[in-house]
Amino acid sequence: MEGIFTYAPAIALLPLAAFVVALCFGNAMPKKGAIAGIFATAGSLGLSLLMLAAVASGEVHHETYYQWAAGETAGHSAAQGIEFTFGILIDPLSALMLVIVSLIALLVHVFSLGYMNAEGETGLPRYYAELGLFTFSMLAFVYADNLLMAFMFFELVGLCSYLLIGFWFRTESAPSAAKKAFLVTRFGDYFFLVGVVAIGATFGTLAFAGDNSFVAQAEAALDGGETLFGFDARTWITITGLLVLGGVIGKSAQFPLQTWLPDAMEGPTTVSALIHAATMVAAGVYLVARMFGYYALSPTALGIIAFVGGFTALFAASMAVVKDDIKQVLAYSTISQYGYMMLGLGVGGYVAGVFHLMNHAFFKALLFLGAGAVIILMHHEQNMWKMGGLKEKAPVTYYTFLAGALALAGIIPFSGFWSKDEVLYDALILGLENQLYLAAYAMGLIAVFFTGFYTFRMVVLTFHGEPRSEAAEDPHDIGWSVKAPLIVLGLLSLTAGIANLAPVGKLLDMDIMFLEMWLDGHYGGLEELTYGAYSDTLAHETGAIAGSEQTTLLVGAALSLGLALSGAGLAWTLYSGSDPAQHTQRLGSVRELLRSNYYQDEFQVWLAEGLTLPVARTADRFDQSVIDGVVDGVSSVSLFGSGWIKRIQTGIVTNYAALIVGGFVGLLVVLGVYGGWFV
Amino acid sequence: MLPIEFAGWAGLAPVYVLVATALVLFAVDSIDPRKTNRTLLAGTATAGSLVALAVAVWFLLAGVGTPQVDGGFGVIELHEGQLVVDQLALFFMVVIATVTSLVSVASYDYMEGHTYQAEYYSLTLLAATGMATMAASNSLVTIFIALELTSLPSYALVAILKDNRGSIEAGLKYFLIGALSSAIFVYGISLVYGATGFLQLEAIANNLESGYGPLLGLGILMLLGGFAFKTASVPVHFWAPEAYEGAPAPIAAFLSSASKAAGFVIAFRVFTTAFPLETTTAVIGIDWSVLFTVLAIATMTIGNFAAATQENVKRMLAYSSVGHAGYALIGLAGLGAGVNDVVMGAALMHLFVYGFMNTGAFLFVGLAEYWGVGRTFEDYNGLSAKAPVACAAMTVFMFSLAGIPPFGGFFSKYFLFTASIDAGMFAVAAALVINSALSLYYYSRLIKALWIEEPIGERDALSQPLGLYAAIVFAAVMTVVVLPGFGPVADVAVDAAAAIVA
Repeated sequence: MEGIFTYAPAIALLPLAAFVVALCFGNAMPKKGAIAGIFATAGSLGLSLLMLAAVASGEVHHETYYQWAAGETAGHSAAQGIEFTFGILIDPLSALMLVIVSLIALLVHVFSLGYMNAEGETGLPRYYAELGLFTFSMLAFVYADNLLMAFMFFELVGLCSYLLIGFWFRTESAPSAAKKAFLVTRFGDYFFLVGVVAIGATFGTLAFAGDNSFVAQAEAALDGGETLFGFDARTWITITGLLVLGGVIGKSAQFPLQTWLPDAMEGPTTVSALIHAATMVAAGVYLVARMFGYYALSPTALGIIAFVGGFTALFAASMAVVKDDIKQVLAYSTISQYGYMMLGLGVGGYVAGVFHLMNHAFFKALLFLGAGAVIILMHHEQNMWKMGGLKEKAPVTYYTFLAGALALAGIIPFSGFWSKDEVLYDALILGLENQLYLAAYAMGLIAVFFTGFYTFRMVVLTFHGEPRSEAAEDPHDIGWSVKAPLIVLGLLSLTAGIANLAPVGKLLDMDIMFLEMWLDGHYGGLEELTYGAYSDTLAHETGAIAGSEQTTLLVGAALSLGLALSGAGLAWTLYSGSDPAQHTQRLGSVRELLRSNYYQDEFQVWLAEGLTLPVARTADRFDQSVIDGVVDGVSSVSLFGSGWIKRIQTGIVTNYAALIVGGFVGLLVVLGVYGGWFV
Repeated sequence: MLPIEFAGWAGLAPVYVLVATALVLFAVDSIDPRKTNRTLLAGTATAGSLVALAVAVWFLLAGVGTPQVDGGFGVIELHEGQLVVDQLALFFMVVIATVTSLVSVASYDYMEGHTYQAEYYSLTLLAATGMATMAASNSLVTIFIALELTSLPSYALVAILKDNRGSIEAGLKYFLIGALSSAIFVYGISLVYGATGFLQLEAIANNLESGYGPLLGLGILMLLGGFAFKTASVPVHFWAPEAYEGAPAPIAAFLSSASKAAGFVIAFRVFTTAFPLETTTAVIGIDWSVLFTVLAIATMTIGNFAAATQENVKRMLAYSSVGHAGYALIGLAGLGAGVNDVVMGAALMHLFVYGFMNTGAFLFVGLAEYWGVGRTFEDYNGLSAKAPVACAAMTVFMFSLAGIPPFGGFFSKYFLFTASIDAGMFAVAAALVINSALSLYYYSRLIKALWIEEPIGERDALSQPLGLYAAIVFAAVMTVVVLPGFGPVADVAVDAAAAIVA
C-alpha cells in the first residue's frame, strides 16, 4: 500500500480541476458542470478510502511538498530558522475526515442535480465551480500538515461559503447574509491569525507532527519550565491556544459568534448541507481535534472549550424550539450539536468529539438534504405551518428524514445516541471528580431535552397531520438523484454508531470500540497524535457514580435517553393531530426573547453603532483636525514658498545674470570668510 | 577581439561613431539640399546613436576600464591623459547614446513639417559627441572644449523652431546665460592653472599643495559655476525652465537628461580626481563636500518648490529636472565619509534611471504638442480616454520620478537615501524625503488630470505617431524593467564609482 500515498495530493486537486472545468466550460457541458464535480468528488472519495485502508494497514503519510518561504530568524525556543511549507499529513484522524468530507461532497453534488438542475436554476456553472473550490479547500485543510497551511485553506473555506451563501445574489437577503457570515467569521479568524503568528514566533515551526512540531516544543518548554514572551510556558500556551480558538469559535458558530449561521440559510439548501455537515462549520471543530495535543497542554483552554461548547449546546437548542422555518430549526440544531463536540473535546473526550463530528456529518447532511427534498415537494415553501401530511406522499423522504431526526434527538440505536452519550459520559466522569465541569455537563444534558423536543416538533409538523396548504396537498415530484443520497445517508445515520459502541463494549467487556482503537493508533498512526498520548498529557482524574464504571454508564445513558424521549414525547403530544395549535403563544414574553435569538443581533448592531461608531468618529475627528491640519499646514507653507520662488523667475535674462553673479559673489564672500582667503 | 587591442585610440569608438554620423548627415543633406527625406535623416541619426550605444555597452561588458587584475583591459589613457576611457566614461556614454537614440526616434514625428531637418539631426549628434567627449575628458582644457562642443549646438537646437517666438527667446536666453557661465568657467580654469601650473587632472592633484590657497579656492568655486550651469543646479538654474519650455520637446528631453548627465560626469571626475578632498581642504581651508551638501539641499528644495504650483506641464517638468539635479548632487556631497563608492554609485544609478523616465516624460509632452492639445494641466484633462497607452506610460514616468515602487525611480532614490544615511548626512536624507513627498503632489496632479478629470471641451480622436509612441513606450518599459535589471546596473555603477573615488 506504500505507493498509494503518491496520489494523496490528487484528493484535493481533483475538485480543484472540477472547479476550473466548471468555470471555463460549464455552460457547454451537459448538466452545467455537475458531471465534472461528481466525477472529481467520486475520485476523491475513492482515493480517500484507499488512504483509509492504507492507514488501517499501519502506514502514515507525512511529507512536505513545497517550501514557499524560509526565514533565518530562529523562534523563541527553536534553534533552526522557520520554514513555511505546504505538506500533507495523513494519519487516522485526517484519513477519516477525508472520507467524510469527500462522501458528503459527492452526495451533495448528486443531490444538486435534482435540487438545482431540475428546478431550472440559472448560474449553474458558477454554482458547481464554487462547490468544487469549496471541496478542494476543505480537503486541503483537512490534510494540511502545518498550522499556516491550515489557516490559508481555512480562509479559503470561508471565502467559498461567502460565495455560496450569496449564490442568489440578486435577492436582497442573500448578499447581506453572505457578508454577515464573512465578517463574523473573519472577526474570529483575526485572532486565529494572531495565534498563528504567535505560535510561529514562539516555536519557530508550525508543523502539527514530527519531532520538532510546535506541540512537541511546547511540551518541552513546559517540562523545562521555560519563560516564553515574559509568561511562564503554560500561560503562554493558553494564550496562543485561545487565540487560535477565536477562529474555531467563528467558523464552528460557537457562542458568541454564532449569529452568522442562521442567516446563512439564505444559500441553496444543498450548500447548507455541505457547510453544516462537512466543511465550513466542521472545520473549526476539526482544527481543535487536529491540534488537540497542544490544547491538552493547557487545562484552562480546554475548560473554556468545554464551557463554550456546553453553553452553546443549550443556548442554541432553546432558540430552535420556536422557529417556524424548517431550515432555521436545522440551523440552530447545528450550532447546538457543534456545542456538544466542543464539550466533548473540552472534557478530554477526543474520541467522543470526533465520533460525534462523524455522526453529525451524516445525519445533518441527511436532514438538510431531506429538508431540501421537502422544499422541492412544497414548491419552495419553508414554513412548517404550511406543510403537514407529507408522510404518505413522500415515504422515502419521510423515513430517511425520520432516521436523521432520531439520530439528532439521540434515540437508541441511531448513531447520534452513541456519540452524544459518550460526550456526556466523558463530561460526567470528569465532573464527578471536578465539580466545576458538572455545570457544563448539566447544560449539555438539559439541551438533550430541547433537542428531542424541537426535532420532533419539526418532524410532526412537516410530515404528520393533514396538509395545511395547497402545495402540501399536491407535492412536486422528486427524482432518484434526490432519493439516492437520502437513502445512503439514512443507512449511515442508522448504523454509523457501530463504529464505537462504547457503552456496550464496556458493559459486556468486548473490544468493539473500533473508532477509539483507530484514533489510538492500534491500526497505525503517529505516536504523538493518538488518543493515548493525549490522555497521558491530560492526566485527567475521573470519578464514577457509586465507584462503578458500569453504574455511571447506565445512569448517564438512562438520563440522556430519558430526557430525549420525554422531549420528543412532549412535542408529539403538543403537535400531533390533524390541525396542531401554535403553542408558542403560551410562552409569553419568553417566546419573543427566543424568537429574537436573545436579541444578540440587536446587541451586535449596538456594538457597531453605539460603541464602535463613536470611537471611529472620534478618531476621524482627530485625523481631520490634528493630522490633516499639520499636513495642510505643511502644504500651504510649501505652496506659499513655491509662489515666492516662482516670482524670482521673472523671465528677464538680465535679472538672471544679476542673480547668478550675485549668488556667486555671495558664495565667494561666505566661503572666503569661512576659509580665511581674505586674510 | 576588441578594437582597442590594436590601438588605444579605438577606445573612443562611441565618440567616433557619433561624430561620423553627424558628418554623414551633413553629407546626405548637401547632396540635395532642397529635398528632405525625413525617414532617411531620422533613420541615420537613430542608427548612428544605436551603434554608439552598442559599442559602449560592448566595451563595458568586455571589460574596458575594469582593472587588469580583475581580468579587464584597464583604463585607456589617450594623449598623455587628456582623455581617458574608463568605466565611468563608458557608463555615461551608454546613458547619452540611449537618450540620443530615443530623441532621434521621437523627433521623426515631432519635426514633421519643420525646416532645417538635416541640421537638426546633425546638431543633435554633434551635441551628443560633445557630451560623450565630456564623459571621457580628463583635463580642464578638453573638458572646456567638449563642454563648448555640447553647448553651441544646444543653443541652436533650442532656437531651431524659427517661426516660434518662444523657441527663439529661449534660445537667446540660454545662449546668454551659457556665455556668462562659460566665461566664469574658463576664468576658473585659468585660476586653477595659475595656482597649480597644470591642466591635466591628475597633475593638478599632484601639485595642489604648491598652490596659493585662496586663488585655488576661487578657481574651484568658478569651476563649480560651470558645472552648475550644465547640470542646471542652484544658483545657475534659471535658464533651465526658460530653455526647456521654449525648446522643441525632444530637445528639452535631450538637454534635461543627456546634457545634465554629461555635466555630472565632469563634475564627478574633476572633483574626485583633481581635487581630492583631504588635500584640497588642507590647501583652501574649506571642505568642498559641505559646499555640495548645501547646494544639493538648495537645488532639490528650490526645484521641487517651484515645480509645485506650475500650471504649464513642461515648466513643471523643467523644475522637477532641477530638483533631480539636487538628488544627483548627493553623490558629491557624500564623499569623504568612508562610503564613497556607495554614495557615488547611487548618484550614477539615479542618473541612469533618470535618463529613461525624464526623457520619456518630456517626449510625452512632445506628443501632446504634436497633437496640439495645449500646454497646461487643464489642457491635459481626460487624455487617457483617447490615448490610454501613452497616458499609462506617462503615469509610469510620473510615479517613477516621484519615487514610487516598483519603478526604477524608487530604487535609485532609495539607494540615494540609504547612502546618505550611511554617509551620516541626515539633513540631506531628510531633505530628500520631504522633497520627494512634495514632488508626489505635483506629479500626481498630472496623473489626476490625465485619468480622472473630464476634458474641458470636445476632443477629436488623437493620432498615434509611430516614432513618438515607440520612444515613449520603450522608455516606459525600461523604467519598469530596470528593476529586474537593477543588479547588473547597480554593479556597474558602483564599480565605475569605486574606480574614480578610490
